[in-house]
Amino acid sequence: MSHALAWLLVGLGLPVVMLQRRTLALGAVTVQALVLVGIALQGASGPAELVAAVALGARAVGLGLVFWLLTSRTRDPHPMRAGNAPLRRGGPAVALALALSWLVPAFGLESRTAERVVLALVAFGLVVAATSSATVFQVLGIVLLENGLALAALGLPGTSWLIELGAAFDLTLIALVAGVFHERIFAEFGAGDTAALVNLRD
Amino acid sequence: MTDRAHLAEATVVAPALLACLLACLPRGWVVAAARVGAVLVAALAVLTGGSALADPAHPHVGDWIALDAAGGLLLAVIGVVGLLAVLASPAYLDSTTSTLVTEPRRRRVFLVVLSAFWAALLGVPVAGNLGAAWLLVEATTAASALLVGFSGRPRALEAGWKYLILTSLGLGVALLGVTLLAAGVPGGGLGGLTWRALPHYAAGPATGLLAYLLLLVGLAAKIGWAPVHNWLPDAHSEAPAPVSAMLSAALLPAVLLVAWRCEQGMAPVIGGGTARGVIIGFGLASMAVSVPFLSRPQPWKRLLAYSSLEHMGVIAVGVGLGTPLALAGAAVHVVGHALAKSLGFLAVTPLLAHEPGAAAGAVTGIARTRPVLGATLGLSLGALAGLPPSPLFASELLIVAGGFAAGLPWVAAAAAVLLALAFLGLVRALLETTLGDAPQRSGARLPALRGVGTLALGTVAALLALAVASPWLPATDLVHALAKGVS
Repeated sequence: MSHALAWLLVGLGLPVVMLQRRTLALGAVTVQALVLVGIALQGASGPAELVAAVALGARAVGLGLVFWLLTSRTRDPHPMRAGNAPLRRGGPAVALALALSWLVPAFGLESRTAERVVLALVAFGLVVAATSSATVFQVLGIVLLENGLALAALGLPGTSWLIELGAAFDLTLIALVAGVFHERIFAEFGAGDTAALVNLRD
Repeated sequence: MTDRAHLAEATVVAPALLACLLACLPRGWVVAAARVGAVLVAALAVLTGGSALADPAHPHVGDWIALDAAGGLLLAVIGVVGLLAVLASPAYLDSTTSTLVTEPRRRRVFLVVLSAFWAALLGVPVAGNLGAAWLLVEATTAASALLVGFSGRPRALEAGWKYLILTSLGLGVALLGVTLLAAGVPGGGLGGLTWRALPHYAAGPATGLLAYLLLLVGLAAKIGWAPVHNWLPDAHSEAPAPVSAMLSAALLPAVLLVAWRCEQGMAPVIGGGTARGVIIGFGLASMAVSVPFLSRPQPWKRLLAYSSLEHMGVIAVGVGLGTPLALAGAAVHVVGHALAKSLGFLAVTPLLAHEPGAAAGAVTGIARTRPVLGATLGLSLGALAGLPPSPLFASELLIVAGGFAAGLPWVAAAAAVLLALAFLGLVRALLETTLGDAPQRSGARLPALRGVGTLALGTVAALLALAVASPWLPATDLVHALAKGVS
C-alpha cells in the first residue's frame, strides 16, 4: 500500500471523529468504503476476489443509501452537541491509533503501513462510538471500524468470498436495524441523541 | 460429507425456511404455521444434537460444519428453548401492543424475526470455522436487537440500542482478533480458519496472545461477561418474555461455546494456563459483579438477567478449569440453567397480567394470591439458586470439586464463596416473591397460566432427571469428548 493511499484512508476517517455534521461524516465513510472497493478490484486475481470486491461495493453503496435516507428523514433542528470539543475527540482517537500501532506487533499483512491504517481505523471507530452521543455517529463508528477490518481482510491470503459476502450482509443488516431504532428514538425523543436514553440505571 | 453434517445443515436451514414461509403466508395462517414449523425445527435440532451426543467419540469436523458433543448439547438446548419461545409468543403478543410495528403486521414481523434469530443461533454451535461462527453471532445481534426493542417503549428502545451498539463494537474487536489469527495460520485466510487450524498458529505466542485476548474481550461483550456486561440486564429485562428466554438460555451459552472453542484451539500456542486463566478470570468477575444485584430487591426479569450474568460466570469457570468433573458440571449447568431460566421468563406473561407492578419493581407474595404461578416462579428461582435437589446444586459442586482436582484451590474457593453469596440472595428473593406480604390483587383469569403450569411440571421432571444423572456424568465418554473438543 502506498503512503498516499494510507493517508487518504486515514484522512477520510478523521472527519468522522472531528465533525458534527452527519452528512459530511457519512460522505467521508462512504468514499472510504469506495476506496476499499478500488483496492479490492485492483488486487483481484480470480472470481473469488472479484465476488469479494463486488460484496464490498454493494455494502458501500447500500450503507450510503441507508444513511442518506435516515439523515434526510430525521433532520435534527440544530446540530447535535457532541459533549466534547472536536480536539478532545480527535486527540484520544489519534492517541489510541498511535498506541495500537506501537503495541500491536506485525501481524502478517502486506506491509506495516497497511497494518497501521487498519489499527488507526479501528481506533477511530471505537472512539467515535464511545464519545459521540448522536445515534447516527455511533453507527458510523462501527462502520469505520469495519472498514478497517475489511482492509485487513483484503490483505489476507486465501480470503473466502463467502465470508466477505457474509460480513458485508451482516453489517448492512446491523445498519438497517440501527436505522429502525434511530427513527423510533427520533420520533420518541425529538432527536437522534443517546443522551436522552437514561431510564435504565441500577 | 456425513449424514450428521447434512442433519446439521438441515437444522440451520429449516428455521430460515420457516421465516421465509411465515413472511409469505396469509395473515390468518401465520401463528398456526409458526407452531407446526417450530415443532419440526425443534425435533430436527434435538435429533441432530442427540446423534452427536449418542456417539461423542466420533465428532464430524469439517471446514464449514463441526458437530461434536458440546455442539450437539447446545443444538438440543437451542432447539427446545426456541420451541418454547415460539409457542409462548402468541400469548405475549395478545397481552401487549407495540409501536415499533403497526398492528396488522405485528404478529407476522415478530414471528419472522424470531425464526430468523433462531436460525442464526442454531448455526453457531455447528459452525466449523471461526469466520463462520463470527458471522452467525453477528447475525444474531441484528435479529435479536430488533426483538429487544419490539415493544417500542422508550425503555425498550434504550435497551435495544445499547445491546446493538455495545455487542456490535465487541464483535468488531473480536473480528480484529479473528483477522490477526487468520494472518498467522498457514494457508488460513478468514474462510480457512477452522477449529483444527487454530493450534497451528505460527506468528508467535505474543501475537497469538493478543489475538486471543481481542477475541475473548469481544466475545465477552456478547456473552455478557463482566466487566463488559452493561447491555445484559437492560436487554433481558426489556425484551419480550419469549425473547428474553432465547437470549438468556440459548444465545449466551452458544457464544460461550465459541469462546471455549477458541480457548481449546489457542491453548497449545499461548499455553494452557494462560488460555484457561482468561476464561476463569471472566467467570469469577461475572459471578462477583452479579452478587450485589442478586442480593437486593429487583423487578423479576431484571433479577433473572443478573442471574444470567452469574450463571455465565459459573459455566466459564467450569469450562476454564477443564477437568472431567468441571466439564461435567458445566454441561449439566448449561442444560439446567436453560430449563429453569426459560420457565422463569415464560412465566412473565401471566405474572404481568396478575401484578403489573412486576415490570418496574420487586413482587412479593405471588403464591398467596396465585399458588400455581407462585409455585412456578419458586421452582424457577429455587433451581437457579442451586437449592437441592436442583441439578444446578450438583453442577456447582462438580465445578468446585473440579477446581480442586485441577490444582487450583484458590479458584475453587473463590467460586464456592461467590456461589454461596449468590445462593443467599436468590433464596431471599425466592421467599419474598412467593411467600412475602401480598397486596390486594385481581382474581381475573390469567393469560397463558395453564401453559406455564404444564411447562413447570415438565421442567420439574427434566430437572430431577438431570440431577439424578449428573453424578455419573464425569466418568462417561461424553465428558472425555468435551475435553477433547474439535481442535
